[in-house]
Amino acid sequence: MNFQERLADVCRRMQEEKLSLLVALHDGAHFIEKPNPVTVVTGFKSIGAVAALLFSDGTCTLIVTPRWDAERAAALCPQARVVGTDDLVPALLGLFGGDFPRDTIDQIGIAGMAVLPSGMASPIAAALPGTRAADRIVSDAARTKTGEEIAFAREAARIAELGYERLKQIAAPGMTEDALAVELRDYMKTLGAEDNFLLLCAGPHNRAVQPSTGRKLEQGDIILAEITPSYRGQLTQICRTVVLGAPPDEFSRKYALVVEAMNHGIAAAKPGVAMGQVCGAINAVLEAQGYGEYCHPPHIRRRGHGLGFASARPGDVSLDNATVLEPDMLFMIHPNQYLPETGYLLCGEPVLITATGAEVLTRERSSLGVAGR
Amino acid sequence: MLTPHPTLLIGPSDWNAERMPRAEFTRRIDALWAHAPQAERAVVFGSSRHHAELAYFTNLVPKLGPALALLVRSGEHRMFVGDSANMLGAARPLTWIENVASMKEAAAAIAGGQTGRSALLVGADYMPLALRRSITEALGNNSVVDATAQVWAQMRRKSRCELDAIEAAAKTTGVARKAMREALVAGGGITDVVLAGERAAGAAGAQDVRTLFSLDGGRTLRPFVVPESQKVDPLLAYLAVRCFNYWAECFPLFTTRPEPTPLNQKAWDAMALVVPSIKAGVATQEIGQRIASAIAPYQSHPVTDRAFVQPMGLGLDEPPYTDVGATFEEGEVYSLRVGAIDGAGGSMICSGMFFVQADGIVAFDEGA
Repeated sequence: MNFQERLADVCRRMQEEKLSLLVALHDGAHFIEKPNPVTVVTGFKSIGAVAALLFSDGTCTLIVTPRWDAERAAALCPQARVVGTDDLVPALLGLFGGDFPRDTIDQIGIAGMAVLPSGMASPIAAALPGTRAADRIVSDAARTKTGEEIAFAREAARIAELGYERLKQIAAPGMTEDALAVELRDYMKTLGAEDNFLLLCAGPHNRAVQPSTGRKLEQGDIILAEITPSYRGQLTQICRTVVLGAPPDEFSRKYALVVEAMNHGIAAAKPGVAMGQVCGAINAVLEAQGYGEYCHPPHIRRRGHGLGFASARPGDVSLDNATVLEPDMLFMIHPNQYLPETGYLLCGEPVLITATGAEVLTRERSSLGVAGR
Repeated sequence: MLTPHPTLLIGPSDWNAERMPRAEFTRRIDALWAHAPQAERAVVFGSSRHHAELAYFTNLVPKLGPALALLVRSGEHRMFVGDSANMLGAARPLTWIENVASMKEAAAAIAGGQTGRSALLVGADYMPLALRRSITEALGNNSVVDATAQVWAQMRRKSRCELDAIEAAAKTTGVARKAMREALVAGGGITDVVLAGERAAGAAGAQDVRTLFSLDGGRTLRPFVVPESQKVDPLLAYLAVRCFNYWAECFPLFTTRPEPTPLNQKAWDAMALVVPSIKAGVATQEIGQRIASAIAPYQSHPVTDRAFVQPMGLGLDEPPYTDVGATFEEGEVYSLRVGAIDGAGGSMICSGMFFVQADGIVAFDEGA
């Protein structure tokens, strides 16, 4: 599938729902778990708040902030009419004034409203009463990745693995978590990562992976890293655990158990299988070793997730996700397990569903890393 | 200035009590109560994108998920962050507030403290609708006053601590500019130059660095998307650096050419002409008009046309981006931008940061 085919799919779904216009909204605060319907229908990742008006015949108007970014948007979205503004809401609502036929308001769908800041959402909702939520139309069409997004994901995976190698090279006692995270982000940017959801923390017994702080690394620390570069707007992630110094034998054995659980999850992921079964396959390995209570909240919420920025489908690798896997779905499988003997352990790979199973996008799967020796 | 919002804020953000003592925050909270004598409590919201008000009262800049502060006139202030108790450890170093709990507990905790007296809500427009609804309800609906504009007014006059933080950020832009200049002279492409600046600022301890650059002689600015090996000389960039939560910015021009272009000279001449006339109470539009006259026959640059001056502080891109207010205010920090574009396609933006006093301005030392 390419971008045009996905767009045609969105338009077809609009026609089925008897929508003549879809208004896609995003506030410009790009977040790994926040779907961006504007990016889905235009391919554009904005600097500021943005709206796309997609008509069911495929014509599109893109309203971008700041005003001075309109020329870049027009170059990237030649299929759209681009309007630049410094204040999105008045510019958007201005298109619905004057001779806009109010009796057709129920033919308008809006996507992205639920995650907008209320300062944007409230005036839009007040000015356009009677419109319908259309998030599902966009997310259903974007449940699988386009060929271009898959190519970008592969490149992002390559960058992530290089970032991991860099981590093992430079992590050392005395360095702060913040300094290590900044260095890794900057290094991956030189490789092409325009953004990075890089969670990195360390300690002798971690309870979770968290954003970095000013804590200084110490010999014997366990470093947790969710390395998540974005290449041309497509995120890919790897989850890794690195010991600063020599890992104790038991630690290595427990890490191997978590890797085994991940591999069971990867083996279970294939077309026709519900996402919940992938989670169940991971849990089964850990439950068999007596860690059943650690397979549920508060210790673990999910075993993976979709990869945006455009679409976060197919969603979480969790027992309650009934999504049936299809070829070209892209997501993370990461057991990321807390064990009482070791603390939290990170291990995870990005996978692409193919006709026969799950293709792991990394060159080398998780193994316990060692640094500072 | 708007720049692309990173999905996760990465950089040193721990509360530094020497830089920003607890007394500074106490003074700010006292001032909030002084402006709202009926209010017993205030809820302040911040997200990783919009958090200037939250950082102002708590020092906390949310790196990941949103956060809420519950400030109380008497009793213990509380902070609510993230969606999981497991994430609290990373939030604690960011703030002086000791009672940090999960966001899941926020609504119940706020509702439990209802006194029937009025409560303030700050940053409400940044909240998602559902959260705003639940917090407003927890505060007691009818007694809630949106105090965001009041807080913005309070934030305008900078303290000595704030000026020192901005000075540190301004000096770090100098470190970055030096590295960028060296990269250009060494024959680096655009990405080499821009990333040299970002890395230098990071190595110098910057909390955050944002850049934009031009591929077309300064006519348009764009963010990094993929590495660009192309060499551009002169290269116009936008550089913003954050230290101790406070931002500084500049529009550096890098070139190996020995002489400034007429457009370049014109822009700096205009800057030199108008800056001496700025002091507290001077109308901002008057300065805008003087800049427009001074750069004639060139046109105003699209980037600076509606934003020739911007208050600087805890937010780099807080709205309204293009509404500076009617007059320059004593104690406030601004970035003044002079942008010019000629018909042949040449473009230039220069800028300077200063804080305003009753009788003039004091420019920040922007280092190298």
